[in-house]
Amino acid sequence: MSITVDISYKSLHKFHEELCGDKVELLKTDTSTILILADGMGSGVKANILATLTSKILGTMFLNGASLEECVQTIVKTLPVCKVRQVAYSTFSILQIFPNKDAYLVEFDNPACVFIRDHALVSLPYMERIIEGKKIRECRFQVEKNDCLILMSDGVIHAGVGKSLNFGWTWDHMANYAAEATKRTLSSSRLVSVLCKACDDLYLHAPGDDTTIAVARIIPAKPVHLFTGPPLNKDEDAYVVSRFMEGDAKKIISGGTSANIVARVLHREIHTTLNYVDPAIPPTATMEGMDLVTEGVLTLTRTLTLMKRYVNEPVDEDFFTELDQLNGGSMIAKILIEDCTDLHLFVGKTINEAHQNPAFPFDLSIRMNLVAGIIDAMKKMGKTVTVEYY
Amino acid sequence: MEITVCIGSSCHLKGSREVVTKLEYLISNAHLSDKLKLNGCFCTGECAKGVCVKIDGELYSVSPADTEQFFENEVLRRLK
Repeated sequence: MSITVDISYKSLHKFHEELCGDKVELLKTDTSTILILADGMGSGVKANILATLTSKILGTMFLNGASLEECVQTIVKTLPVCKVRQVAYSTFSILQIFPNKDAYLVEFDNPACVFIRDHALVSLPYMERIIEGKKIRECRFQVEKNDCLILMSDGVIHAGVGKSLNFGWTWDHMANYAAEATKRTLSSSRLVSVLCKACDDLYLHAPGDDTTIAVARIIPAKPVHLFTGPPLNKDEDAYVVSRFMEGDAKKIISGGTSANIVARVLHREIHTTLNYVDPAIPPTATMEGMDLVTEGVLTLTRTLTLMKRYVNEPVDEDFFTELDQLNGGSMIAKILIEDCTDLHLFVGKTINEAHQNPAFPFDLSIRMNLVAGIIDAMKKMGKTVTVEYY
Repeated sequence: MEITVCIGSSCHLKGSREVVTKLEYLISNAHLSDKLKLNGCFCTGECAKGVCVKIDGELYSVSPADTEQFFENEVLRRLK
């Protein structure tokens, strides 16, 4: 089974700062996954610019096969020099993982990557070298399925310094906490949430520094097929369903008529329930061979709301409590956020004329917008999305 | 006898949940739970007539406001 990298990251802004001085850049290509975490000197706008430049330059150059020397040289020569401190400075970590399980890690002045295998910490075989007068640590190693790698800015290991803890969280304590947490969390998104919450608590909810955590977990590829909307041309029904059923992906049908089409083509029965877990969302149904069958636009609207919250806002335990609800919207969002690496959408473009009713709270022809929103959110989460329209 | 209520998008917005809740109440109140089976179904393609309710396959257009009336007139009539 091929491996893939499940990546999530979150930042806490320094108290009272509108911008974050840490920046995470995630690049996924067919040949490798690159995760970069840069921490710009200072805070606010200046730090944000330094970190953004650093992460973007590293990402773009790495992606195009530049050597580490070239990358560091470019950064040193490009970053604007701080008037006050007379230096241009941003720390960074780069983690590159290849489909053949080779991994390459580069660090400059960031806290060391936490590497967890089977819930235990593993030390990495670092080598040091000097490039452009900067001491850079790098190592090449192999990852295995279920390995977990955590990149962080120094705001994490300093969490709580002078407030709840004399010396802050420290790398050792943070690493042990993370190793322990991998026993309870399966997805990178939950682990990031747990670790960020710990930092925020230690800071007494007023972080003294920009704090960023990026988690990469090595997992088997988890494809999901989502079928929503009846095809414009009824003659294509059977073809769409056969495409939808291909492979061993998780299968979600979102849409009553879509479910009826699948049931008809495959000669299977839909078992609906009248269990209104959430009054705003129609109940889900079951069908042999399907992982989830739901109503369409109302459910997907809820799904998209949750996905947007996940992408755009700091997520806390309340968010995951809502994600664990058994209404169709939460159930789809949970699969897409936590249990999917590659999403394949099968979207029919038929518009239900009866939905064009001014008495309804919104225009139900919004399926296309919902689909576009879901694609956008999935890409922001670093997942692969493909879509077929019918 | 089987009563099927559409829980598709359109009917949901027109109040199928309320219809379901009312029917559940009316059925248990009349002690007819063993004679009447209440089911949900996805879109029947008759969205304009929603909330779509079928009794043994025959389509009725019901709204939350006239659920009692529908129960008295159609459901109970058929049971007699």
